[in-house]
Amino acid sequence: MQTGNQDTPFNKEFNKRLKRRYNAERRFKRLGLLAIFIALGFLAFLLSTVISNGYSAFRQTFIQLDIFFEKSYFPNEDLARADYQTIIKSTLREQFPEVTSRQDKQLLYSLVSNGAAFKLMNMVVKNPKLINTRQLVWVPANDDIDMLMKDKIDMSQPESDRRIKDKVFSWVETLASNGRITMKFNTTFFTSGDSREPELAGILGAAKGSFYTLLITLLLSFPIGVAAAIYLEEFAPDNRASAFIEVNINNLAAVPSIIFGLLGLAIFINFWGIPRSTPLVGGLVLTLMTLPTIIIASRASLKSVPPSIREAALGIGASKIQTVFHHVLPLAMPGMLTGTIIGMAQALGETAPLLMIGMVAFIVDIPGSITDPSAVLPVQIYLWADSPERAFTEKTSAAILVLLAFLVVMNAAAVLLRKKFEIKW
Amino acid sequence: MKHKRLLFAGALAAVTIASAPVHGASRDYIAIVGSSTVYPFATVVAEQFGKTTQFKTPKIESTGSGGGFKLFCGGVGVEHPDITNASRAIKKSEQEQCAANGITDIVEVKIGYDGIVVANAKTADQIKLSRKDIYMALAKEVPGADGKLMANPYKTWKEVNPSLPDVAIEVLGPPPTSGTRDAFVELAMESGARKFETLAEIREKDEKDFVKVSHTLREDGAYIEAGENDNLIVQKLQSNPHAFGIFGFSFLDQNPDVIQGSMVDGEAATFENIADGKYPLSRPLFFYVKKAHVGSIPGIIEYLAEFSSEKAWGTDGYLADKGLIPMPDAERKQYAQSVKELKPMAAPK
Amino acid sequence: MLYDYLLPLLLVLTAAAFMVGRKRALRMAADYGGIRQLHSLPNHYGSMMALACLLPALLLYGIWLSVETSVLDSRIIHELPPTLLSQDAGAQALIINDIKNTVSGNVTVNQDASIEAAAARYQAIQQKSRSAMCIGLLLLAPLSSFIAFRAIKPAFRARNVVEGIIRAALLLCSAVAILTTVGILLSVIFESIRFFKMIPLQDFLFGLSWSPQMAIRADQAGSSGAFGAVPIFAGTFLIAAIAMLVAIPIGLLSAIYLSEFASRGFRTVVKPLLEILAGIPTVVYGFFAALTVAPLIRESGGFFGLSVASESALAAGLVMGIMIIPFVSSLSDDVIHAVPQALRDGSYGLGATKFETVRLVIFPAALPGIVGGVLLAVSRAIGETMIVVMAAGLAANLTANPLKAVTTVTVQIVTLLVGDQEFDSPKTLAAFALGLILFIFTLILNVIALRVVRKYREQYE
Repeated sequence: MQTGNQDTPFNKEFNKRLKRRYNAERRFKRLGLLAIFIALGFLAFLLSTVISNGYSAFRQTFIQLDIFFEKSYFPNEDLARADYQTIIKSTLREQFPEVTSRQDKQLLYSLVSNGAAFKLMNMVVKNPKLINTRQLVWVPANDDIDMLMKDKIDMSQPESDRRIKDKVFSWVETLASNGRITMKFNTTFFTSGDSREPELAGILGAAKGSFYTLLITLLLSFPIGVAAAIYLEEFAPDNRASAFIEVNINNLAAVPSIIFGLLGLAIFINFWGIPRSTPLVGGLVLTLMTLPTIIIASRASLKSVPPSIREAALGIGASKIQTVFHHVLPLAMPGMLTGTIIGMAQALGETAPLLMIGMVAFIVDIPGSITDPSAVLPVQIYLWADSPERAFTEKTSAAILVLLAFLVVMNAAAVLLRKKFEIKW
Repeated sequence: MKHKRLLFAGALAAVTIASAPVHGASRDYIAIVGSSTVYPFATVVAEQFGKTTQFKTPKIESTGSGGGFKLFCGGVGVEHPDITNASRAIKKSEQEQCAANGITDIVEVKIGYDGIVVANAKTADQIKLSRKDIYMALAKEVPGADGKLMANPYKTWKEVNPSLPDVAIEVLGPPPTSGTRDAFVELAMESGARKFETLAEIREKDEKDFVKVSHTLREDGAYIEAGENDNLIVQKLQSNPHAFGIFGFSFLDQNPDVIQGSMVDGEAATFENIADGKYPLSRPLFFYVKKAHVGSIPGIIEYLAEFSSEKAWGTDGYLADKGLIPMPDAERKQYAQSVKELKPMAAPK
Repeated sequence: MLYDYLLPLLLVLTAAAFMVGRKRALRMAADYGGIRQLHSLPNHYGSMMALACLLPALLLYGIWLSVETSVLDSRIIHELPPTLLSQDAGAQALIINDIKNTVSGNVTVNQDASIEAAAARYQAIQQKSRSAMCIGLLLLAPLSSFIAFRAIKPAFRARNVVEGIIRAALLLCSAVAILTTVGILLSVIFESIRFFKMIPLQDFLFGLSWSPQMAIRADQAGSSGAFGAVPIFAGTFLIAAIAMLVAIPIGLLSAIYLSEFASRGFRTVVKPLLEILAGIPTVVYGFFAALTVAPLIRESGGFFGLSVASESALAAGLVMGIMIIPFVSSLSDDVIHAVPQALRDGSYGLGATKFETVRLVIFPAALPGIVGGVLLAVSRAIGETMIVVMAAGLAANLTANPLKAVTTVTVQIVTLLVGDQEFDSPKTLAAFALGLILFIFTLILNVIALRVVRKYREQYE
């Protein structure tokens, strides 16, 4: 036999072919890497856009007021019903005595947020001793002032074309030079529910709503999806009925999600009488929606378990169920978990079906259980993205960041599990 | 074994969280549904109401006027909403549907007006439109020189009116399912069409044909049906200075540094002009209250009082800050009165 | 208190039952001469007892939950004073609501003494019913477990019983999919029929123009709409096709690289990162498509002298493709990963390069799974709404030119359903008809896909 380094015509051919084959391999490898980098590039771009838009929402402008809680403001026993708005207004007038005309006063009052009054109310109700004392209080600024402080308002435009008038700007400058205006970490955003005032709006209600909704979705869709896949792949007789079910499930995956909302409205709300707008009904609808994804992914991964595993198990006397649960299922688990990750990710980001069951709604109170009305994160994002106030733009991005954090935590758990089950043989 | 224990603990925790404090199906908050145009105003009132009274903050769903009426007219009872917002008046068929489900007493409340603006980016020049221009630029069919209807031939604004700039017509506006579109077509297009003598003939012959001609928008790409997200339209205008957009006044109000409203019939789209009725494009917004629920769901009367107070819908009220155009004083008084008396609408004829 | 934690308690009881059953089986076996005398594994006996504890109790709980409210309501209505009685069912429900609100200590409208009395009564009955429930459940679970306990004998075929129950449960779960299909058909079919009474079926199916420009109010009737669904379906497939042109190559190449070429560390990091793409809310993609991609396409199109609409199918399709990359990449990666190593080793042993192994051995072996992932991705592309609304618009053009604006079925369904028009107008009803036709259409596509997969699938081993 000839050896490789002799320069015969046959070897020349062979070497050329070998080179071509290796080149093809290298090209293919580069192509694969390129594909991954394209995908990751998009991810990086999207994330950087969201972060650059949203990071500023985590800080919030506050104005310091020197408030005198005069006794005369509290005529009744019920401290909560006192007119805190008036206290703030008179404090502002005190701080800017040069403002006299009615119109200018209106502008002046708009420096601080509506929420300032509630803050004072909480302070006084908690500690009635404050009455007749003078306190320095940091109250949230109005959203326009907040935008100004974050350089999101172009002061070079003519005055009539800005939301911040020259007078207001000069007041803000006065406050700034006195150290009475500052940016602080925005705790409101993480501790309160929705609001129509951007500076008071928070994500907690929606986040809790998402948590309850997804908990129900996961509790129902994962076991049901895996069980259905096992039945169809391992136990169902290979006949027309099974083929019908298979086509059926594939088809369900293509049903627009809003149709699942219609179905949920008909069954869960109108027929079962579950209250509208609750995480319970949302979770049920999203379960129906994610089931096909989980079933299809689980079946695909069950299919890829080599038959020899099953034959070996059956051969040493395991029952069909034992074979499946002890030997096939663990091998198929990574694929099933992938299906669950993707299905849950879709459920986490879905708005359309929730429209029909009343979860696209303005809900201020933070839900305490699965039967309290609540919104979910994508709904909150959708509603804020559609709000006219400019300050909601950054809140929208910040809410997206919260949702992504949610997603990452959820995926991390599943990825850890997936790694545990993954074997290459 | 360790795994299984962990799994069991996890399942136990999950079931505990999911099932723990579930209470009976009682409702102690107001349920409101309806138009996405009224939504930003109703939510402000609801929030004020929730913070200043002992009642819970109402739940306000954004379902569209049609979807709102469907839910509202579903019947009397806790599972049905108490109030529906609408960007148009209730229709006869809807009132009949309500009556068929036992809802006979409905209180209609007009809350104010919403201006419709035609705007473009600040980087371009402000233009002066007449309603006739709008009709000629956007209708599917326009009368030609011979008076016969023809498919809209105009490609640029200059072709429509020599005083307008020489840029291609590109208008982003609401889809045909939107109440904003409906109002725009009626207020701008139809009255623009009335200015044509040739169309007057058609009108005399058959009112329906005239309406059809004047209400149909062109579909050759000059009018682009954008979704209901008006912020997106504003941003699209910023990136495309040749395009115009049609949307509610509050979005112009919030973004005066990037977009400008076009003058329509010589009037600028400002708060004062719309409130005076000088600016021609504005339409009323409503909500409807189920009277049967007033005595049972806590807070409805107080919510109505808050909504109809001067500090909410008055000329200096907080709704005006959000871009709602208040009703004239007399009309406000009249509606405030009917809110107080809970005067139901007349039954459908 | 006990009532609130009934279900967790039941779970604990079940776990205890499992332990007891297992112990009992082992002890019995010891009496008869070792574990080999048992018919089934000790765990089977344990599971049997656990199921015996759980299932009847769950059934009881379910029944009780579904009837409690109505029974309570009717009892309280019978006891109401005549002043509060009303003929109207809706009004009655409002009074009940009042009572319940009083019970929960919420703010109420009627501070009526009779309501207060009824509320107290209601609370008493509810308390009674709940305690009865708790007692019933806590009696039933041990009782049924005890019966199972007595049945545990070495010759008892616990495995057959447990496995029978498991099989039944599996069957039940797959039936959920069928029920969902039936439910979907039922929830769209009645409105669709009403729609087809107004608009003839053939006009809808074969009409080439979609323009639902009907007046919203009755008093301005005039312009009538055109409801031809062809342009919408064409738009749907155009956008889905563009999306797949992006997602399949990128997704598949990534998957092959990750499972065959990449190092373990690289794979563990990259795969979850790619999966984030599927979870970014579609609103974000929508803004990205409308404000970044679409202007880019328009400008580069203008550079080559092409006229590009500011809203184009291309922009929406491209971005949608990015969104569904993980559907292809992750699912394919899993199935490629699961191809037995023996196949690879065989191929390498014959002298094939890695690329040849992938192309000729692994890919065919993994094909059914890959097709599954691709089908899922197509489904997601068809069902996506937000990206299309924001980037491709709502104009129904019948065109194959990806630079023009098109619209999709899902988008139309959503806009029609949440519009301001009255709910029995053909516009709203058209949404249901579109849903129905899309359902039938994808069904046909899936049947074809199934046939194709069955024909080309390579079964190894």
